[in-house]
Amino acid sequence: MKKTKKTLLTIAGLLVALISIFPLFWMALAGFKPKTEVLGYPFKFFPTVWDFSNYNELLHSTEFIRSMGVTFVGAIIFTVLVIFVNSMAAYSFARLNFPYKNTLFIYVIMTMFIPSMAILIPSYIVVAKLKMLNTLTVLILPGVASAVNMFLMRQFYLGIPKELEEAAVIDGATKFGIYRHIFLPLSVPVFVLVGIGSFLGFWNSLIWPIMTISDERLYQIMQTLAYFRSAQATEWAMIMAGSTMAAIPTIILFAVFQKYLIEGIKLSGIK
Amino acid sequence: MNKTLKKNDMKTAYVMLLPIVGLLTVFVVIPLIYAIFVSFYQWSFYQDSIFVGFSNYLLVLKDQAFYRAMWTGIKFALIVIPIQFVAAFLFAHLIKNLSAKVGGFVKTSIYIPHVISGVVASIVFMFIYNYNGGLANYIVGLFGSEPIPFLADVKYALGSISLPAIWLGFGFTTLIILAGINDIPDSYYEAAEIDGANTFHKMIFITLPLLKNVFLYIIVVGLTGAIQQFDLPYVMTNGGPLNSTMTPNLFIYTHFKNDPYMGYTISAALLLFVIIGVISALMFRLVNSKKVED
Repeated sequence: MKKTKKTLLTIAGLLVALISIFPLFWMALAGFKPKTEVLGYPFKFFPTVWDFSNYNELLHSTEFIRSMGVTFVGAIIFTVLVIFVNSMAAYSFARLNFPYKNTLFIYVIMTMFIPSMAILIPSYIVVAKLKMLNTLTVLILPGVASAVNMFLMRQFYLGIPKELEEAAVIDGATKFGIYRHIFLPLSVPVFVLVGIGSFLGFWNSLIWPIMTISDERLYQIMQTLAYFRSAQATEWAMIMAGSTMAAIPTIILFAVFQKYLIEGIKLSGIK
Repeated sequence: MNKTLKKNDMKTAYVMLLPIVGLLTVFVVIPLIYAIFVSFYQWSFYQDSIFVGFSNYLLVLKDQAFYRAMWTGIKFALIVIPIQFVAAFLFAHLIKNLSAKVGGFVKTSIYIPHVISGVVASIVFMFIYNYNGGLANYIVGLFGSEPIPFLADVKYALGSISLPAIWLGFGFTTLIILAGINDIPDSYYEAAEIDGANTFHKMIFITLPLLKNVFLYIIVVGLTGAIQQFDLPYVMTNGGPLNSTMTPNLFIYTHFKNDPYMGYTISAALLLFVIIGVISALMFRLVNSKKVED
């Protein structure tokens, strides 16, 4: 009886797991179907002939590859900046003493409660006045400072025992030296968590790119996909191949760091 | 001694804080102040602004389309979040009972949609919903029904864009709840079992009260996030048919695109911010008033 129950639970669990990944499987599979089979009758689950032309065409499309490349470069720069800007602030708030510390802390944390939508259009006006439209800077800079990520890192730093720093202090290390040589190396778990979140946020973003980028050489990947979908509404096999390729970097990232990510749910301090 | 130390710290601290404070000021605080300022003006890129007092706000509050968009956002959130939450709650309990190996596989699989973008999810589901030969209509056809225009019929459109939202958030919500459940000592559940409690009793009388704060967090963040959904309706329906999927954010974006006067749009965005704030505050009040005895 107990065994049957366990088997049933296992089957149910596996079924939900498969349903969860099925849409992605279905998307990748559609990319391998010839135009005549991707939709329509008779319904075909698997392609009768595996057609590589959709993926092949995208790999040779300057627009598509450039868009992936530009987004990737932007996402990397963004991620590095997010980590450094916020971890420096986190270290200052966790370990240093200075005048107006509380005031500055409240100032930073307050921004956490401002929803991005409330300031979306004035932010657009600000970047337009700064002549930043149609640059990589406009995609990267506005999101770098993040109170949520700063707070997460500060909590992490508060948990680091002070004894670790004492030897360095006796050796005459500067406060920045302690950050550089003691805190940074210890930060890997929290950096991975923040870094992946930032990379994904940048890679997957839509509304900010479609507002601030009209130069197609800077089109972000999700922007390219959305425009391509509305322009070529019937080219489903190609659209699905494009979506698959746009999703691959995020899935690889997940595959590489999945241990950190699933563990990170505890670290993120929701509880 | 202490004073010099503090002074040394001061220099380092201010240098290390300069980037975050500078960036937040330019890209968050100034836009917010500017938004409040513009909301009292008739403002466009091409003309001098004219002070108009509260008339932008009055215009928004008199606009049926604004209420319609708010209501659409709320309906969308009320479809997505309860379904997602209940499914995740039940499934987290199920995973807890799986062997480590199967559980690991299941956890990995359900996490994956969390890294997928709203645009990709939209496109995949548009493909599945396709009227001519999409998977959903193939399945509907197996039951002998005519194809359903999932995204083109007012009756189905909002429900149809809710499904990808549930799919995107389900796994991650499950894993948060599971992390919470794993923190509850096994002895609680064992003791309940000895007293003859079944799985359902354990969920209601142990998990629910002990994880109240986690659930509150998930639900409030989920609801406020769902009301602000943009990617799915933008790609899948562009707000249609007949504005039935025009969520508040898409409404604001559409105005931004078509209306050269920013005062109305910015006032609408600020009002939305206030309404969402009120909803979150109410939620916290509601749950806290039903205090569970420890």
